[in-house]
Amino acid sequence: MNLFQTIFTGSKQALAAAEGIVKQAVDEKGRDCKVAFPDTAYSLPTFYAATGKKVTTVAELEAALDVVRSLIVEEEMLDKALNAGLATAVAAELVEAAKYVLSDAPYAAPCAGFISDPIIRSLGVPLVTGDIPGVAVVLGECPDAETAAKVIKDYQSKGLLTFLVGKVIDQAVEANVKMGLELRVIPLGYDVTSVIHVVTVAIRAALIFGAIKPGNLADLLQYTSERVPAFVNAFGPLSELVVSAGAGAIALGFPVVTDQTVTEVPTLLLTQKDYDKVVKTSLEARKIKIKITEIPIPVAFAAAFEGERIRKND
Amino acid sequence: MSEKVLSIDKTTVQMLDKAKKDGVETAWDRKEILKASCGFGLAGVCCRNCTMGPCRVSPVPGKGAERGICGATADVIVSRNFARMVAAGAAAHADHGRSIVLELLHTSPDGAIKVKDEKKLKKVASRFGIETEGKDVYDIAHELAQAGLNDFGRQYGSITLPPTVPAKRKETWEKLGIVPRGFDREVVAIMHSTHVGCMADAEEMLRMSMRCALADGWLGSYMATELSDIMFGTPHSRPTEASLGVLEDNQVNIVLHGHEPSLSEMIVQAAEMPEMIELAKSQGADGINLCGMCCTANEATMRHGVKLAGNFMQQELAVITGAVEALVVDVQCIMPALAKLATNYHTKFITTSPKAHITGSTHIEMDEEKPLETAVGIVKEAIMNFKNRDKSKVVIPNVKTKAEVGYSTEEILNKLDGVVNSQIGPMQSAKPLADVIVAGVIRGAAGVVGCNNPKTVHDEGHLEVIKGLIKNDIIVVVTGCAAQAAAKAGLLTKEAKELCGPGLKKVCELVDIPPVLHMGSCVDISRILELVGTTANHLGVDISDLPVVGIAPEYMSEKAISIGTYVVSSGIDTWLGVVPPVTGGPAVVDFLTNKIEEWVGAKFFVEPDPHKTVEQIVERINEKRKKIGI
Repeated sequence: MNLFQTIFTGSKQALAAAEGIVKQAVDEKGRDCKVAFPDTAYSLPTFYAATGKKVTTVAELEAALDVVRSLIVEEEMLDKALNAGLATAVAAELVEAAKYVLSDAPYAAPCAGFISDPIIRSLGVPLVTGDIPGVAVVLGECPDAETAAKVIKDYQSKGLLTFLVGKVIDQAVEANVKMGLELRVIPLGYDVTSVIHVVTVAIRAALIFGAIKPGNLADLLQYTSERVPAFVNAFGPLSELVVSAGAGAIALGFPVVTDQTVTEVPTLLLTQKDYDKVVKTSLEARKIKIKITEIPIPVAFAAAFEGERIRKND
Repeated sequence: MSEKVLSIDKTTVQMLDKAKKDGVETAWDRKEILKASCGFGLAGVCCRNCTMGPCRVSPVPGKGAERGICGATADVIVSRNFARMVAAGAAAHADHGRSIVLELLHTSPDGAIKVKDEKKLKKVASRFGIETEGKDVYDIAHELAQAGLNDFGRQYGSITLPPTVPAKRKETWEKLGIVPRGFDREVVAIMHSTHVGCMADAEEMLRMSMRCALADGWLGSYMATELSDIMFGTPHSRPTEASLGVLEDNQVNIVLHGHEPSLSEMIVQAAEMPEMIELAKSQGADGINLCGMCCTANEATMRHGVKLAGNFMQQELAVITGAVEALVVDVQCIMPALAKLATNYHTKFITTSPKAHITGSTHIEMDEEKPLETAVGIVKEAIMNFKNRDKSKVVIPNVKTKAEVGYSTEEILNKLDGVVNSQIGPMQSAKPLADVIVAGVIRGAAGVVGCNNPKTVHDEGHLEVIKGLIKNDIIVVVTGCAAQAAAKAGLLTKEAKELCGPGLKKVCELVDIPPVLHMGSCVDISRILELVGTTANHLGVDISDLPVVGIAPEYMSEKAISIGTYVVSSGIDTWLGVVPPVTGGPAVVDFLTNKIEEWVGAKFFVEPDPHKTVEQIVERINEKRKKIGI
C-alpha cells in the first residue's frame, strides 16, 4: 500500500473507533451527559483550536465526528494526507474524551492521561527560555527495555520533556527509568489514542502562549511547527493508525523518526535503525541544538533531575 | 480578419508592433506568406530521395497513389523521412559534442581553455576506464578526449554507456539490438538505409532511428555536457534576469546566439576585460551588456548568470529593438533571415563558425588556436559599433524577470544534501528525490524541453504545461527554449512555489529551490537522463518504471525529433505539442504511439492542447505509480 493510502486507511480506522466509543457514550450516558477533560479551559483542545467550538455534551461529541469525516478526503495529494492525519488526531481526542465520559478515572498510575492546564502553564517558561530544549514523544515498543531506557534517559539528560505512549511505558518501568513531571518523563497511556494528550500540550501552548485564535487552523499549525520543538519516535511495528497519527504530527510540524522501514520523507518521516543514533537523528530533524557543558561526574546531570526525590531504598 | 494572438509574451507583441512600423518582416510574417503548408509534406508522404521522384503518395490508405515509383509505401516513406530527421538532429548534437571533445584535446595549462573541474574530469575519465591516479590533469584530459573521439568514430563494438544507464535498460537495448555502435556510424547508417532501394520496412527503419537517437542522448549530448563542465565549470545555482528588457539603454549590447559554449565562454572572458570596458566607456557607453539567446544563452547563464534575452522566436525581435550592437552566432537554430534584418538597423550580425556561414553576415571565424583573441576582436567590433546606434529607433521593452539558473545534476544533489539527516545519510545521493516521489509528496517529474514554433502561440504551450504540472505536484526541469519561456514568466524563482500543489510547495521550501529547475541547454538534456538514471538505479528499477515524462510543447527542430526519440527509447513517455510529419503512415503512427511501448516501456503522445497534455500526463503518471505500488 502506498503511504497516502496507509494514512487514509488509518484515519478511517480512527474514525470508526471514535464512532464506536461515542455510540457507547450515547447509549450508556445519554446525549445530555457533560463532556470535559479535567482542569482545562480549552474544552477538547484539538477540536477547539481547529474549529473554535467547544464540546460540552455527548451530543456535541457525536456531532464533532462530522469534522473528522470532513477532514478525510482520499485524494493522493500532500494536503489531503496531512488533513487525514489531523482527522486521526481529532478522532483520537474524541475517543479520549469519551473515555472520560464513560469513566471518572480512565487513567491510573503510572499513566497520566490528560495533562491539565496548570501543568502546561508551568512548562511554558522553561520551554520559552530553552531550559526545556525539546519535547520527545516516544511511542510503541522498543526491542528491549534496555534500549528504551537508553533513549529515554538520553533525552532526560539533555533536559528534554519526554512523553511515553504504549508498551514503552512498561519497558521504562522495567528498566527503572524514574518518571514524573518533575523528572520530565511522562507516561501518557497504553492506547495509541492517548498520544493526543501530548498533542494538546502543543496546541494549548499555541493558544496560551501564542495567543492563536481558536478556529484559525493555519496559524495554529504555523505556531506549532515554528515554536513547539516536538518530535515523535515511533518504535516497533507500525499500524495504519499509528502512521496516520504520524501524519497528524507532521501536519503540526513535528518530524517522525522510526526504527521501522517506511516510505521516508526527507526531514519529516525518517527511518533510523541504529538505536544509538535515534536521539541525534531526532534532535537534528527537529533542529534542536543543545548547549552542553559537560561536567565529568559519574551520574547524569541535568535540569530534569532537579525535582528528583531520593527514597529510603535508594 | 481578426488578429491572431501570436505570443503570450508581452515584449514579443510589443516588438512585433515595432517590426510592422519599421517595415521589417519576421518569421511570423513569413509563415503567413507561405500560406497553408503542403499536406503531403505535413503527413510525411513526400519523398525526394532519388531523381525518379519527387513522389508523393496518398496519406489516406486505399485511396489515390499508394506507392512511389520505386514501390515504397506511405509507411516506408514516412519512416525514412522520420529517420532522416533523427539523423540530422543527432548529427547536429554529434558535431557539437565533437567540437567540445576536440577542445578538451587541445586544453593546456597556459591555453585559453583550461580544465576547470578536475573532480568531474576524473569521474568521467574513470567511467571510460582511464587510470587517473597520480596522473597529470592534462594527460587525463587528453586521454579522455581520445576515448571520446573513439566512440564518435567507433567501427566495431558499441559505445561506452555511462553507469547511469540502469542494467535492465541496457538489457532491453541489447535485446532490441539498439545499443549504438559509433555515433557517426549510426548517422551514416541511416543515410545509407534511407537511400532509394534500401530499407523498406517501417518498423526496422524506426529501430535504426532509435539506435541513432540513443547515440545522441547517451553519447553525443552526454559528452558535450560533461566535457563542457570539465572545461568551463559545472553549473551551480545563481541568479539572472530574463526577457528582452535585459537589453540596456546605454550599454554596448552583445547578444550571444547559437549553441556551443566555447564561443560564449570566450566572449564572457573578453567582455570582462578592464580594457574592453574602458574602450566601451570611451565610446560613450556605460559598459558592456552581454545577453544570450537560445542554447548559447543557456550555457552562459548556467555558468555565469548571463542574462537571457529571449528564445528562438525572439531572435529577430532582439535586433528590432534597435539596441543590439552585435548579434554573435555560431551554429544551429540561427535564422538566416537575421542577415537581411540586420541591414535595417546598425546591428552587426557576426557569424563565427565554418559550419554555419550565412550570406550577408560579417564572418569572423573562431580561431581555435587563439579563441580568446577572436573573442576580443568580436567584442571590439561590437563596441566600435555603439556610436552607430540610432537612438530614435531604439525601443527596449520595460520588462525583466528574475530567475534562478544553474541546476546541474551535481547542484541538485548538493541541494538535496540539505534535507539529508546527517545521522542517516547518505550524502550526494538521489535518495531524497526518490523518497518524495515514492511517498507521493511529489507525484512525478517532468522534463519540459524544446523549441518555439509559429504553429503554436509563442510560449503558451510551454507555460501552460509547466504551470499545469507544478500545480499537480509534478516537479519540472527545463532546458532549451522552454527554459527561457519559464524564466521570462517568473517560474524559475522560489516565489513560484505559490503556483504549486501542496506537496511540491513543501519540497521547494524544504530543499530551498524553485519548482522549475533550469538544467541548461539542449545537449544538457543528458543531465536529465543522468538524474533519472541515477534515481532509477537508486531504487533498483528501470527508467520506464518511474513516474517521469518528457514534453516538447512547441518543438520545431530535427534535434527535437532526435531528443524525443532517445527519451522514449530510454523509457520515458514523451508528449509532442506539434504534430510530427508522420500522419500519412498508419503503421508508423501505430509504432510510435503504441507498439514502441512493448519494446521500450514508453511511447509518444501527440497533443497540441497543453491542458489536455497535463491531464494525460497526470493520468499516465498515476498509472505508472500504481504499477510499481507507490
